[in-house]
Amino acid sequence: MSYLVAENLEQALTMLQEAGKGSRIIAGATDLFLQELPANLIDINAVPEMLVISETEYSLEIGAAVTHTAASQSSLICAKATALAEASAQVGSPQIRNIGTIGGNVVNAAPAADAAVALVALGAKAVIINSKKIMREEPVENLYRHYNQSTIESGKEMIIKFMIENNAGILGSAFLRFAARQSLCLPMVNAAAWVNIENDLLKEVRLVLAPVKPAPTRLKETEKRLIGAPLTAETWRLAGDAATEEVTVRGSLLRCSAQYRRHLVGVLAERVIAKAVKAACERKEGEQR
Amino acid sequence: MKKEMISFFLNGESIEVYADPASSLLHLLREKLDLYGTKEGCGQGECGACTVLLDNLPVNSCLIPVGKVKNRTVLTIEGLSVGEEYHPLQKAFVEEGAVQCGFCSPGMIMSAYALLKQNPQPSAMEVKRAISGNLCRCSGYKQIETAVAAAAEKLKAEGDSG
Repeated sequence: MSYLVAENLEQALTMLQEAGKGSRIIAGATDLFLQELPANLIDINAVPEMLVISETEYSLEIGAAVTHTAASQSSLICAKATALAEASAQVGSPQIRNIGTIGGNVVNAAPAADAAVALVALGAKAVIINSKKIMREEPVENLYRHYNQSTIESGKEMIIKFMIENNAGILGSAFLRFAARQSLCLPMVNAAAWVNIENDLLKEVRLVLAPVKPAPTRLKETEKRLIGAPLTAETWRLAGDAATEEVTVRGSLLRCSAQYRRHLVGVLAERVIAKAVKAACERKEGEQR
Repeated sequence: MKKEMISFFLNGESIEVYADPASSLLHLLREKLDLYGTKEGCGQGECGACTVLLDNLPVNSCLIPVGKVKNRTVLTIEGLSVGEEYHPLQKAFVEEGAVQCGFCSPGMIMSAYALLKQNPQPSAMEVKRAISGNLCRCSGYKQIETAVAAAAEKLKAEGDSG
């Protein structure tokens, strides 16, 4: 029975090895704390290797223990991973954002976790390390086993950081959510998009909607139909119509009916593609100035 | 979980307390340290009544395991007043009628305090955002927002004259 606070990655891994069965890595623990806690907790909130926000030639790197507050206020994330900054700014409440982390948002594996939805749209990969120090990379969208269950085994391994590839091109991303209130409220639907523009046409698109399936879901049929499309209102409408056709949604007694959710999928898909394109164009203008 | 000795800074003083590291900071404050100013509303991080500052940032103390505060700084509503002298935010809440049943007030004031420390002259929208994690079921928020703005003015005037 123990609560250990790791001061660095090396120490966290040693703790994980020694704690053995019934132990679990925790970060903000804002979701976990309301459930029954495992006997041994290893708190990684202060591990410096997991708090980085930096850029290399190839990728943007965001530590798994970066809080939503830090992510939403980072100028690098605002510029290069706009969807994530926008998503993190809307998680829970200021109090939750000050303690909840990006990595926790993914490992907690809620279907419509705002930051996770944005990370999937950004094509982010998670860098995972286990107690034997073996590392692997996994796209965020592959980290979901069932509803609210991650493939990450928090008693044996942990996400260190997320990597978002630094593509060339005119890139932009955006995030939107619709909920009954603006704070402390799960979204009826949330959406994130990432676009790459060439010759005023959509060259690449990733469009993610949730909750549609247990994991944040890319609408690949809709994405295909958008490739090569011009940057016009008609294209945004196409995104909305195609997204509505592509998804099967469920209603929920607490949040909204299936019919209303399907309507929202169309509206948000339309708006989020337009918003991502706008972000890409503004970023290009900013760079030219 | 087994109890252990946990030391941290509480309202400006270094303290040591023998506690279960997996229990909540809220319960430690109220039940062991006799600091009843911090309220328990929902106990699930939804209402903000239990808001305290951890290293200067507002958090829901009901969601913070005591183990997390080791060697860190916690500020509660009791830490705002200096002796019998209330903080300008506390005075403004009284003067502007921002307190009705009073249950949300400590949490509201802690969120507002963190805001004014970071941003001494917030816009109306920034005030709304700062208290968006705090529910009030009586006042309708208007008087609370007015009180925060009034306190900001007062603090500015004090800063200018001092």
